Amino acid sequence: MATINLSPLRTSPSLCSRSSRSPQNAPKLSLYSHPRPSLTFPSISLKSNSTAKPRALTITFAHKNLSETELVSVPPEAEDVAGKLPSYAGVYAVYDQNEELQFIGISRDIAASVTLHRKSVPELCCSVKVGVVDDPERTALTQAWKSWMEEHIKATGKVPPGNETGNTTWVRQPPKKKADLRLTPGRHVELTVPMEELIDKLVKESKVVAFIKGSRSAPLCGFSQKVVGILESEGVNYETVDVLDEEYNYGLRETLKKYSNWPTFPQIFVNGELVGGCDILTSMYEKGELASLFKK
Amino acid sequence: MGSRGATVVLSRASRIKAKLQSALEATALEIDDVSYQHSGHAAVRETSEGETHFNVKIVSPKFEGQSLVKRHRLVYDALADELQSGLHALSIVAKSPQEAAAKK
Repeated sequence: MATINLSPLRTSPSLCSRSSRSPQNAPKLSLYSHPRPSLTFPSISLKSNSTAKPRALTITFAHKNLSETELVSVPPEAEDVAGKLPSYAGVYAVYDQNEELQFIGISRDIAASVTLHRKSVPELCCSVKVGVVDDPERTALTQAWKSWMEEHIKATGKVPPGNETGNTTWVRQPPKKKADLRLTPGRHVELTVPMEELIDKLVKESKVVAFIKGSRSAPLCGFSQKVVGILESEGVNYETVDVLDEEYNYGLRETLKKYSNWPTFPQIFVNGELVGGCDILTSMYEKGELASLFKK
Repeated sequence: MGSRGATVVLSRASRIKAKLQSALEATALEIDDVSYQHSGHAAVRETSEGETHFNVKIVSPKFEGQSLVKRHRLVYDALADELQSGLHALSIVAKSPQEAAAKK
C-alpha cells in the first residue's frame, strides 16, 4: 500500500502557514511566509465565517462520514463554484468523471480550494463531497481529514491517488522558503578556513547570493527587504546570508566589505561577481535587466 | 562635544558634498540626509552620530562608460573616511552628464 503522509502540511494549499518562520534546519518543512506573487491563492477571508453561518445550501454542513455525504458536481465556471460550495473551512473529497475518489483535502475555504483544483485539473475535478468543520482549528480539520481518509482506505484498501506521497497534482508545492546560510559553525568554533575563502567559495558556487541584514523571512532593514522582494518576484533560486548573525556569521561584515570592496549592505552576488547593493539591483529590476543576468 | 551644528564642525552632509564635488568633479550633486528614516534600525544603534543614511544624486563625467558597480565604487571610495566613521548607507543615483541630459 502506498504510504500516506498524515502531516496537515500536505493537505491543502490554502491551509499552508503564511507566518511561520522556517525552522533553520528543516528546510523540507516548507512553511513559507512570502508566497511568490505568481503562486498566491485568492485571498481567503476567515472573518466571513466567524459569524452565524447561513445554513440553506443543499450540501452537508456538519461533517458526516464520507459515504453519507452527498456528491455535488463542480460547476464548470469558476464564478459559480462559490454559489454551490461553502466558503468555509472543512474537509472535501474530489471525484473524477467516473466518480472515482481522487483526493481528500482540507481547506480554510472549500469553495476557493475546489475552484483552484477545477482550474488546474478540470478532468479530475468533476464532483466533490464537502464537510464543513464548525471549529476551524487546524486539529479539528486534520481530524476530519483523517476520518475521511481512514474511511476511504478501509472501504477500498487504497489511498486516493492525489494523497499518495509525492503526488503533486493537488497540492501545489509551496516555494521552498530556504533557510539562511551560515558561514561558520558558531563564533566560538575556530575556523580552519579563513572567512574570505568561505565567502569566495559560497559566491562562486551559488548562482545568486544576497548578503542581507536579518533573515530572508524577516529582513531587518528596508534595503534588504527590497532585495529579497525583488529576488522573490524574479523567481530566481537564491541564497541568503544574514550579516547580522553574530553567532554563525561572526566577523562577516568586515570581511565581506573587504572581499567585495563594497562598504555597505545588502550585497548581491551573481555568478561570483558583485552586482551591487539595493540601488543597483532595483535599477536593474526596473529596467528589466535582471532576467538576462540570472540566465547567464 | 555636542557642538554638532556649530560652524566649526562641518556636518557630514557638507563633508560628503565637498568630497564628492572634488573627487568626482560632480556637475550636479544633491544630498539628502534621510537618517531619520532609519533611526532605531538594528545596526545604527551602535553609532552615536545621527547622520548615517543619505540619498545622493550625482552627475559626474567620470561615470561615463562605467558600470553601475564602478560608479558606486567611485562614490564609496571618495567617502571611505566617512564610511569608516559612522556613515552607514548611501542610496546612490549616479549618472553621466549625457544620461542626465537625456532624462530631461
